[in-house]
Amino acid sequence: MSQTTQAQQSQTVPATLQPDVQPAVIATRQRCEADGVGLSHYILMDRKPAQ
Amino acid sequence: MNGPVPAHLGCYANSGGGPSLLPLDIGHADYLALTDPTTAFWALVKKDRLAETLAGGPLLDQYRVQAAEFARELHGLRFELKPSAVYVNPTERCNLDCSYCYIPREMRRSGDHMPTERLLDALTRLKDYFATVMPAGRKPRIIFHGAEPLMNRDALFAAIDAFRDDYLFGVQTNATLLDAAALDFLTARGISIGLSLDGPTADVTDVTRLSFGGKSVHDKVLDTMDRLRDYDAWSVIATCTAKNLGQLVPLVELFHAREVPTCMLNAVRCTLVGGREVKPDDAALAENFIAALERSHALFLESGRKLVIANFANVLLAILAPTARRLMCDISPCGGGRAFFALAPDGGLFPCSEFIGLPAFNGGNLFEQPVADILASQAFTKVTSRDVDKFAPCATCAIRHFCGAPCPAEAHEMNGSMEKVGAFCGFYEEQVRYALRLVADGKAGDFLWDGWDAGVETSFSVNLQ
Repeated sequence: MSQTTQAQQSQTVPATLQPDVQPAVIATRQRCEADGVGLSHYILMDRKPAQ
Repeated sequence: MNGPVPAHLGCYANSGGGPSLLPLDIGHADYLALTDPTTAFWALVKKDRLAETLAGGPLLDQYRVQAAEFARELHGLRFELKPSAVYVNPTERCNLDCSYCYIPREMRRSGDHMPTERLLDALTRLKDYFATVMPAGRKPRIIFHGAEPLMNRDALFAAIDAFRDDYLFGVQTNATLLDAAALDFLTARGISIGLSLDGPTADVTDVTRLSFGGKSVHDKVLDTMDRLRDYDAWSVIATCTAKNLGQLVPLVELFHAREVPTCMLNAVRCTLVGGREVKPDDAALAENFIAALERSHALFLESGRKLVIANFANVLLAILAPTARRLMCDISPCGGGRAFFALAPDGGLFPCSEFIGLPAFNGGNLFEQPVADILASQAFTKVTSRDVDKFAPCATCAIRHFCGAPCPAEAHEMNGSMEKVGAFCGFYEEQVRYALRLVADGKAGDFLWDGWDAGVETSFSVNLQ
């Protein structure tokens, strides 16, 4: 098995992963500060991409 | 990892001290998932490579050394947050009589408004509380919610102007009272506006959302959507019931055509009898919900413009980046009483708006007791201690920390105990499976907000050929 690293990405165009490059194993995890921002019935539209 | 595996990290998967990875069929032609539910870790493995993957190699090697870190991350998210938002109900009244509302009908029809001075006092007290728990420079959120907050418009607008430097504000409204002056006021101040609409046509919306006098509000909501088209801080919530299931695809088409940036397709809350009467079947909801997701994706591919379906995007985030969640229903304990709480017009504090019709969950009065004491009340801790690791069937579920078994109010009122699943266990199973299929196919990003990962770093990445 060979190992490669996936670059972090923010997809702004439709994904184009082709079947012929499907990896055998995919496992990723990302993290940020868990700042407690989270609601229930409502999505607050205050997070801008550049923040 | 080179050389022998240290004994405390375990030599083998699923025995001794080794990582426990549960296989999970996700309905994909080529992949199945492995999850460690205790850390919300997952991997997607080609079906014909499962045996060799579990026998050892880079995936297990890397996960062994990071499992404890992921466990700490998940624990912090689940148990160490402080509140940063309040749902403020400035009135008990509403001009609509939606059949599934979680606010009792009599309260909505003839309840009280919170006087302006009282609302200003409430926001002052909340500001003082947040100063003790939030870092300097970050603003807490106030969401005016309902009932219909614009029934008490003067108080609402006075509060927004008085505290515009202290809070980030949002308003969830049925749109019927959003006249030109109200829209000008809110948009000039950058207030986040959420509307509600359940159907693509009036005959669908009118089944569940009518005025007390039986009048349709559908066209008024469409008119408001048109007037918000160039505003960037608005969204629409649709409540999915047995009455509109077959209309979710045309509803998504309507939202996309009207350039709604973000919507929520929320399963009806079954806390009260009215909600339970229009509860959709889990499998039917999943089928129609996923069809709506697929349609939104097709529209994105055709137009290049996304309609983000936020409640599903949050399930994807729970998988891809647990700490980047924006909604706190689908986590256990849920955000109620720990990430946010709700203020009723009489000053009563509840873990979430969902509990406002349930007096047993009134933790105390903002005007009489310190917020910190109320948060520690039994009414709140009953919700904040609901832990899917401790009751069946969640405790053995491979996806319990992608779902969280929402909602505690439903579990308590519909299923009889906090230690029960919520109303839509099967629906969440299907959402998580679909989300993992999207990850396998490299499409997950198409369903998330552009720029969602700004400020987010990769903590684990194994991609094996």
